[in-house]
Amino acid sequence: MKVGQKYVLDKQAFLAVLDSLRRGAKLIGPTAGPDGDVIFREVESTSEFTHDYVNEFDPIKRFFIPHRQDLFRFQLDKMPKFEPLVDTSPQILFGIRSCDVKGILHWDKFFTGVYADNYYLAKRANTTIISVACNRPLDTCFCICCDGGPWLESGFDLQLSDFGDRYLIDVGSAKGVALLAKVKKGLVAATRQDLEHRKELMATCDSQMVPTAYVAKAIIQITNRRVREELWDEMGYECFSCGGCTHVCPVCTCYDVADYMETPTSGVRFRCWDSCQYSGFTREASGHNPREKAKERIKRRFYHKLSYAYVKLDGHHGCVGCGRCITVCEAIGMLDLPAVVKRLRREGQPAPEEQGA
Amino acid sequence: MDNLYLPQLAVIDQIVDETPDTKTFTLHFLDQKHNKAFAFKPGQFVEVSVFGKGEAPFGLCSNPLRKGNFRITVRATGTVTNAMHQAKVGDVFGVRGPFGNGFPFEEVMGYDILIVAGGIGLPPLRSLIEPIFDKRKKFGNFIILYGARTPSDRVYKDALAEWAARDDVQLLQTVDRGDESWTGNVGVVTTLFEKIKVDPQRTFAFTCGPPIMIRFVIQDLLAMGFADDHIISTLERYMKCGVGKCGHCAIGHKYICVDGPVFSWQQIKVLPER
Repeated sequence: MKVGQKYVLDKQAFLAVLDSLRRGAKLIGPTAGPDGDVIFREVESTSEFTHDYVNEFDPIKRFFIPHRQDLFRFQLDKMPKFEPLVDTSPQILFGIRSCDVKGILHWDKFFTGVYADNYYLAKRANTTIISVACNRPLDTCFCICCDGGPWLESGFDLQLSDFGDRYLIDVGSAKGVALLAKVKKGLVAATRQDLEHRKELMATCDSQMVPTAYVAKAIIQITNRRVREELWDEMGYECFSCGGCTHVCPVCTCYDVADYMETPTSGVRFRCWDSCQYSGFTREASGHNPREKAKERIKRRFYHKLSYAYVKLDGHHGCVGCGRCITVCEAIGMLDLPAVVKRLRREGQPAPEEQGA
Repeated sequence: MDNLYLPQLAVIDQIVDETPDTKTFTLHFLDQKHNKAFAFKPGQFVEVSVFGKGEAPFGLCSNPLRKGNFRITVRATGTVTNAMHQAKVGDVFGVRGPFGNGFPFEEVMGYDILIVAGGIGLPPLRSLIEPIFDKRKKFGNFIILYGARTPSDRVYKDALAEWAARDDVQLLQTVDRGDESWTGNVGVVTTLFEKIKVDPQRTFAFTCGPPIMIRFVIQDLLAMGFADDHIISTLERYMKCGVGKCGHCAIGHKYICVDGPVFSWQQIKVLPER
């Protein structure tokens, strides 16, 4: 068994293998919540999973970068003592979608480099990613515009394609090989017909995508600063600065750091999700705030998402097409990524060579 | 793997009151091995913890060529800095770093040096001024301009008096508002430009201070004929992690904490926001 190989296995047989691994690792996957919500959470058994879902409302980043993550515990004394709190517990993430896997690949690059974030990397090293390709999109999905899905060539440990009672399984890593090696019987090599069937499923899914986000022109407009200032003003006026877009975004990672006293003599230093859309995000102790206005913060957000400088730095623009910003934005239909991309394309200033035309 | 967020304990050796709201702390690391290995470049900064209150970034103001301890100058403005001002000699802070790129030092040897500092912008520049004195022969003409709100708001009054007495540096000071003891210049720091002679071709200008001051200083330096890459400034932003991850200090695609805080005007002028 090697990375890159493809197999077919009965669904129940695959889930039974996951159940057998339950003792050594947290098993996390999609479960049915109230009112038809889908919630990814730790389960005791794969029987708690729902398979009737497209994607979760929340991004899966909380399993790598928790809303609040304790960094170290300290004990106040003449000489304070502290103890790092790096979580190395293993987890298996079952059923996440391609767009979220793309988000993880973005973090893999961001959290490494000269300053490698050992908290993220410890979690990442101990996570097995079993993604499931999407057979149908939500009416907010636009992953095909962002190379985010509906299925992937790499980035997963195992990728499943749902064939009803069977899974087509792509082996993506050594971790995936090790997991699949636990299958005792029933695993067969995928046939040409299986691969053709997957292609058809994905083509059907592609054709059902509704929102579009043709980011190329928007990237050019932002990179060359051809966006009219009045357009940023308008967007700043429309934005509620709720930070929802950044919280649900599988690419966004900004955080705050603070201390919390648990007893009069001991406490923890933690980091927690923060948002560049909050007015206090750049406020300094002196009171100076470089991005006091919502307009400046919106501009910042889309510069980060769409400037070529960031595309070069990250190797990807800052969107995976999950559509969650469409669902969550309070300024409905005006400030989600596809909406802003459309506005930048249509309402930006023309390029200098276009002006005389 | 190193833990990015775990500080080292540093003991306070000395506390000097600089102004009514500013103190300078001299510290050494408790771990002798770490203390011996600790090295930094002029203009780099450290993240300082007061456990239970939080962490904040401070430019190192001591001479990087002198080992054994290091200094930071702290104005009490927020939770962490006010807590730092309560500390006594022998108390400990947590310290991470050094972080940031630092001022070019070796690279500007052979050139004339013009330092333009405003208020609490002098501390990071002092980490450049002192090693220049140590290697004085390697630099040309040396001018320091310093502006503060009032005479008592000036930091390093003893050092300023020492520099004023030297004949190998021209120190000019100014204040926004004088008092009965002040016989020097009154006005913003840029009013000192007409009192000095510089050859912009042969000079590197370094500036640090409030953003509004930096803006006017750069404008005047450009008018004097300085090339974009001969104007070196620091950029100020709220920094949390110090290692380019938390996102607070991003300007354009640069992170002030790892790509800066030191930038030339050539680099600053192309940033999408300033």
